Amino acid sequence: MSAKFKKRYNKRSLIISASVILLIIPAIIAIGVKLFNDRKYNLISFIVTFLACIPFFAKFEQRKPRPREILCISVMSTLSVVGRLIFVMLPGFKPVTAITAITGAFLGPESGFLTGALSAIISNIYYGQGPWTPFQMLTWGLLGFIAGILSKFNLMENKIVIILYGIFSGIVFSLMMDIWFVLSIDGLFTWEQYYMAIIAALPFTIIYCISNVVFLLLLYRPIGEKLERVKLKYGLMQN
Amino acid sequence: MMKASAFESYHPIVLFIFFASTIFFTMFLTHPIYLAISLAASALLLSTLIGLKELLKTTLYTMPIFLLISISNPVFSHRGVTPLFYINYNPITLESTLYGLAMATMIVSIMLWFRCYNLIMTSDKFICIFGNTIPILALIISISLRLIPRLKDQIKRISNSQRTLGMYTDTGNILEKVKSRIRILSILITWALENSIDTADSMKARGYGLKNRTTFSIFKFDKRDIVLLSIILLLILINIIGEIQKYSSYHYYPYISNIDLSLKATFYYISYLLLTILPTIIEIKEDLKWQSLKSKI
Repeated sequence: MSAKFKKRYNKRSLIISASVILLIIPAIIAIGVKLFNDRKYNLISFIVTFLACIPFFAKFEQRKPRPREILCISVMSTLSVVGRLIFVMLPGFKPVTAITAITGAFLGPESGFLTGALSAIISNIYYGQGPWTPFQMLTWGLLGFIAGILSKFNLMENKIVIILYGIFSGIVFSLMMDIWFVLSIDGLFTWEQYYMAIIAALPFTIIYCISNVVFLLLLYRPIGEKLERVKLKYGLMQN
Repeated sequence: MMKASAFESYHPIVLFIFFASTIFFTMFLTHPIYLAISLAASALLLSTLIGLKELLKTTLYTMPIFLLISISNPVFSHRGVTPLFYINYNPITLESTLYGLAMATMIVSIMLWFRCYNLIMTSDKFICIFGNTIPILALIISISLRLIPRLKDQIKRISNSQRTLGMYTDTGNILEKVKSRIRILSILITWALENSIDTADSMKARGYGLKNRTTFSIFKFDKRDIVLLSIILLLILINIIGEIQKYSSYHYYPYISNIDLSLKATFYYISYLLLTILPTIIEIKEDLKWQSLKSKI
């Protein structure tokens, strides 16, 4: 691909991202506040979370990735879905976040986001789509993205950072799902109900944190080495 | 188990527009009549898809959610002007009780609609719709859906060979269990990554990403799809007009508004009813047709 060609594609994805973030999302929030008297939190947040994923998707689509990159992301998201099946006997103890984070750390923030978001879609094709799908997409996607950014500064090599990241991601995931839960109760968001939801979900939050830390510590090196090897052997994700 | 459905055989785009609009309207309209219609229609469609017995099972499953939401709202929210009784000097108001009931109805009908969606919109249809707008992501999803059964198969093989080596544990403490599962996962990853490179190379060899290549789709957009799609779009339009004219808006706070039963309002209720029970009508029509054909033989 020539440099000029590439530049044009980057420009197009930038326009899409900018218009989604700067125009469409504020417009939808404004419609929610003005027209519906600020009473449709559930619908508006459902749409906004979904739209928030679009800039990442648009950038990837415009870039025209090679088959090897496509397959790599596809394999990693499938693995996180199948991982849910391997550990089915332990409720809440799932490697999805860990695998997303490792993908993000070794294959870059963009791959991390895509692996996380697509894992949510694919696993919900099996376990059932619902209003929670966009929330899971955005949360797992962003967690993968954050892991990618952290590893750009060589922070993910540090065991303490990994443990902190595991706890952080468990809490973030739980908090995001609590937002969805509170919104689904009465279509409104009140802090009172949110605190109640957080307290009610505390056991799950703890299991998420523990499972993330365990999986990250146990899987980070082995999967990382495999990804490094594939990257080196086949020249993946060099751009 | 789902039986063969007539509605399912329509083009995915028609199906998707139907589900998107009904789920959108259900989340959007808090008018009690609209909510009741949506709940009834989703339950009807689900019963034609999975039978009455399964529907009852699903209803039992959603009951706790219904109760939780309808009870928690009046307990947390003290808005409204008609107190029914007091708990700890906090009024339980008529308005917030009704609002809780309305929200519980909304959530349960959204769950039922999504259940129907999951039964009807199988993964191939999902990919058919998004194959044009997000081709690469749709491709990733479709590859993954193929990979899942392959990986499951591979897991079985790996764990069998691990068992013969004496390294796989079904018993023992949690740490041992987790460790043996992680070893399987690790072996699986090596295999999957190597294998994926093969697939990628073979895709490239067959000209993936070249110009003028088309994608295969098994779904055809027929005349009947156009008919159904135009009916759905017309009904959506009527409902949007009804919303703009405020026939479908309803206020629970500070006091509940009256239900409009004028002729014009009833017209909009019926148009919403028609939109939501459209698939059920198709199912019943097709069922009757089949019965009459069967009796002729």
